[in-house]
Amino acid sequence: MKLVGIVGTNSSESTNRRLLQYMRQHYSEQAEIEICEIDEIPVFDEPEDKTAPQAVQVLSDKIAASDGVIFATPEYDHSIPAVLKNAIEWLSYTTRPLINKPVMIIGASLGALGTSRAQAHLRQILEAPELKALIMPNVEYLLGRALEAFDDDGNMIYEDKAKELDNDFTEFLSFVKLTEKLTANSKFFEISKQFSWKQVANGEDM
Amino acid sequence: MKFIGIVGTNAKKSYNRMLLQFMQKHFANKAEIEILELKDVPMFNESKDQSDSPIIQEFNQKIEASDGVIVATPEHNHSIPAALKSIIEWLSFNLHPLDGKAVMIVGASYNIQGSSRAQLHLRQILDAPGVNASVMPGSEFLLGKAQEAFDKNGDLKAQRTIDFLDSCFAKFMKFSDIIAQMNIPEDITYEPGTFKVTAVGHNGDLPMEVTLSDDRIEKIDIDTSSETQGIADVAFKRIPQQIIDGQTLNVSGASITSRGVVDGVAKAVKMAGANPDILKKRKKSSGPNKQNVVEYQTDVVVVGAGGAGLTAAARTIQQGKKAIVLEKFPAIGGNTVRAGGPMNAADPEWQNKFDEITGERHTLKEISEIDEKTIDDEYLADFRALKKQINEYLKENEDKKAYLFDSKLLHRIQTYLGGKRTDLNGNKIYGQYDLVKELTDHALESVKWLEDIGVKFDKTQVTMPVGALWRRGHKPLGSQGFAFIEALKKYLESNDGQIITDTAAKELIIEGGQVKGIIARSSDGKKVIVHAKAVVLASGGFGANTKMLKKYNTYWSNIDDNIKTTNSPAITGDGIRLGQSAGAELVGMGFSQMMPVSDPETGELFSGLQVPPQNFVMVNQKGKRFVNEYGSRDELTKAAIDNGSLFYLIADDAIKETAYNTSQAQIDKQVEQGTLYRDDTLEGLAKQVGMDPATFVKTVNDYNSYVDAGEDPEFHKSAFDLKVEKAPFYATPRKPAVHHTMGGLRIDTDAHVINQDEKIISGLYAAGEVAGGIHAGNRLGGNSLSDIFTFGRIAANNALKDME
Repeated sequence: MKLVGIVGTNSSESTNRRLLQYMRQHYSEQAEIEICEIDEIPVFDEPEDKTAPQAVQVLSDKIAASDGVIFATPEYDHSIPAVLKNAIEWLSYTTRPLINKPVMIIGASLGALGTSRAQAHLRQILEAPELKALIMPNVEYLLGRALEAFDDDGNMIYEDKAKELDNDFTEFLSFVKLTEKLTANSKFFEISKQFSWKQVANGEDM
Repeated sequence: MKFIGIVGTNAKKSYNRMLLQFMQKHFANKAEIEILELKDVPMFNESKDQSDSPIIQEFNQKIEASDGVIVATPEHNHSIPAALKSIIEWLSFNLHPLDGKAVMIVGASYNIQGSSRAQLHLRQILDAPGVNASVMPGSEFLLGKAQEAFDKNGDLKAQRTIDFLDSCFAKFMKFSDIIAQMNIPEDITYEPGTFKVTAVGHNGDLPMEVTLSDDRIEKIDIDTSSETQGIADVAFKRIPQQIIDGQTLNVSGASITSRGVVDGVAKAVKMAGANPDILKKRKKSSGPNKQNVVEYQTDVVVVGAGGAGLTAAARTIQQGKKAIVLEKFPAIGGNTVRAGGPMNAADPEWQNKFDEITGERHTLKEISEIDEKTIDDEYLADFRALKKQINEYLKENEDKKAYLFDSKLLHRIQTYLGGKRTDLNGNKIYGQYDLVKELTDHALESVKWLEDIGVKFDKTQVTMPVGALWRRGHKPLGSQGFAFIEALKKYLESNDGQIITDTAAKELIIEGGQVKGIIARSSDGKKVIVHAKAVVLASGGFGANTKMLKKYNTYWSNIDDNIKTTNSPAITGDGIRLGQSAGAELVGMGFSQMMPVSDPETGELFSGLQVPPQNFVMVNQKGKRFVNEYGSRDELTKAAIDNGSLFYLIADDAIKETAYNTSQAQIDKQVEQGTLYRDDTLEGLAKQVGMDPATFVKTVNDYNSYVDAGEDPEFHKSAFDLKVEKAPFYATPRKPAVHHTMGGLRIDTDAHVINQDEKIISGLYAAGEVAGGIHAGNRLGGNSLSDIFTFGRIAANNALKDME
């Protein structure tokens, strides 16, 4: 099982990055998690030329080649960071690798709420027609007080949250296997991958 | 009204840009809309702060200065574009221009949704505490199918859409007004002290001490000894610094430890009797602004930019020295700008040109017949000399209409008699002879000095403010007390005198018993240090500090908590506290003066018909007169309080013409608003005000008969002028309000401040209402202006003399 873990921020200090590093190491037997950064991706401004910039193409290829994607997002002003939305806009505007891709959303925050609002926004965004990701339903992993959640060698101190993540991750693995059967013969893949506002305007299924 | 429009995308082609451009044109007559673009905004990155870059600062400063922001957002992937989220993140990190700012959301999109989902996300984002914008509720303007909505010159085609946009915009104009009022920072005062609270650490609570002065959080000490070293320490240093720098609890920091510090300080604020929410609502402390300090060097530094302070500064500059005036408020003028205008100074040469008015001769006779045993020794010689003057005047004019008499001696004895009082505890007080002599000897000099400075006086009439006991008022031609301030300000500005506003003096700099300057704090948190050879305290009394009034009061049986004041809100006794910090002695603090004829709602003097005392006709709520309307202020106030505090000044059309500082238009407006009563008949007026008509009419007829007779058997009113006979008739509601605090710092005739061992505090001078000793138990109307312009000059003269 190959998974991509996307760090939802460009900040050098990130508890979400530590959470993904913990998962990569903790679940190394069940899956190979590659952690991807998004800080190299240029600012999206709806260019005429729809070919993906190099950094976007690299990320897109990894997502396309993966069995599933884990988004780890902080919460900036009750929503996902601009830099994460920026990456998503490029993906939806160019190569659209997230169509029918199983996705797991997790988040870590300094405060107690554990990015609950950002995760709700991310869900709505990833379900937009231009993205059409398959988000694992009714699993919301919120890691509050993340600053103190890991010891020096990266193990999670809060046992209850560690156990909850184990359950959620196991469920995600089974969700990935389940969706493979579901989407194998889906007609979505024949339609052109190129995003077009006209299709959105006419409410066509894309 | 000025709004900032933000195009919510950096795409070259945008229907949201077109929408904003249409609004800019369409609403041009109602408001100015400046449109900002996101093109050059860098992607937000917490680890690479670019808050000071030109593009971010442009957004920051323009939004800060605006009356509101209009955000036009498209919808990308069911949410707002990353570019729009990025600028919002920059504007909620170290900068917070959107904090408390009115925001209107509009949006255009290709599909029918018109960016509905994006607008919902945007609302939630703008509500986040880090942003804290005030988003206008409702009025969702969604422009669907934007590609078909505009004609070729960019105007919206559908009238229905334009109508809806008009209604949303009109509502936003009103909304931004209301929001602006909500943002007026609320003052906060604490019970000074150090409070023990706790902060939140990893292994349990940490002891924390918060030190508060009366209006500032001064120190926050957290004992982190029991804490494990590491990340947590950042919060224990950064958060307290931000709280102190910005004097706010609205600081960024989401971690448990940061919130713990904020909650601890909030608890201490509550223990100090203040409401922590005021601090939570305050502007976000914009990052760790460096504790910038501004230092000045001058000869004389003056505290307070009212009449006394500006005079001391002007007098210093006239002698070739440098002066800086510190003023706590944004505007200068203190109480002087609120004064009626006439300043007392005996000027027989000028006054003798005017005729006496009925009753004045009677008053002189009464003074000459006062029993010498009741005169205190220091004043006896002057009293005898005055008696000689009065008797000569009366003999000389025995059987003819005489001129208006006056002399320095009369002004001195009346100031002494007017101020001689005994408080509730039986303590007797009267004006210190040498100070009263200094005032009455040099008051006329001050009038001449002010004329040189540029004040033009009305030579055509001798005016008399309420409770002055005699007509010796020199009134400027300009409006009220403002005329003095305007002339002094112009003089200072053209002779490079420096006035620094929004800067409150906090501490005296004292080295080796010598006062060497002032430490002050500006409203934006800067520390201002002024080194000087002399400090002149001229910050006025404490008439707007009800708590301080009640603390020292020994004269009035009661001072209500909500008693109004005629004073500026700046008059809170700061100079008295500064003097005390240098060991100054206080005198007569128990005696404060009420202004009997104040506006019951606002406490101001010049509402309704504020006529000269000879035309006062005061009736209580039952329509009866109750006092000699020509009496002193405290006689009038005591009588008013005994009659239920609220009373009415009655006037007819002729008396109305003698009212000060008003106009027919202002009078009509107040009648309309119901704060001034007018009727064509006395009976009608009585009914309007709720008095028994018959009683009221009898009172007026009796009064008119006393004017004819020149004698008032009922209350011995000592001077009359006009009768109440020509319709329409007026009733002005009046109620006593706090007006003057006679007590203050002890000074000598050179305006030195004297300490508790009767010694001069070297380098410290005081002038005006901040000083005590002259007006004792009751100040004569018009004597305060003479005081500030006379002792303001004396303080400067001696400060410079002592410097040599």
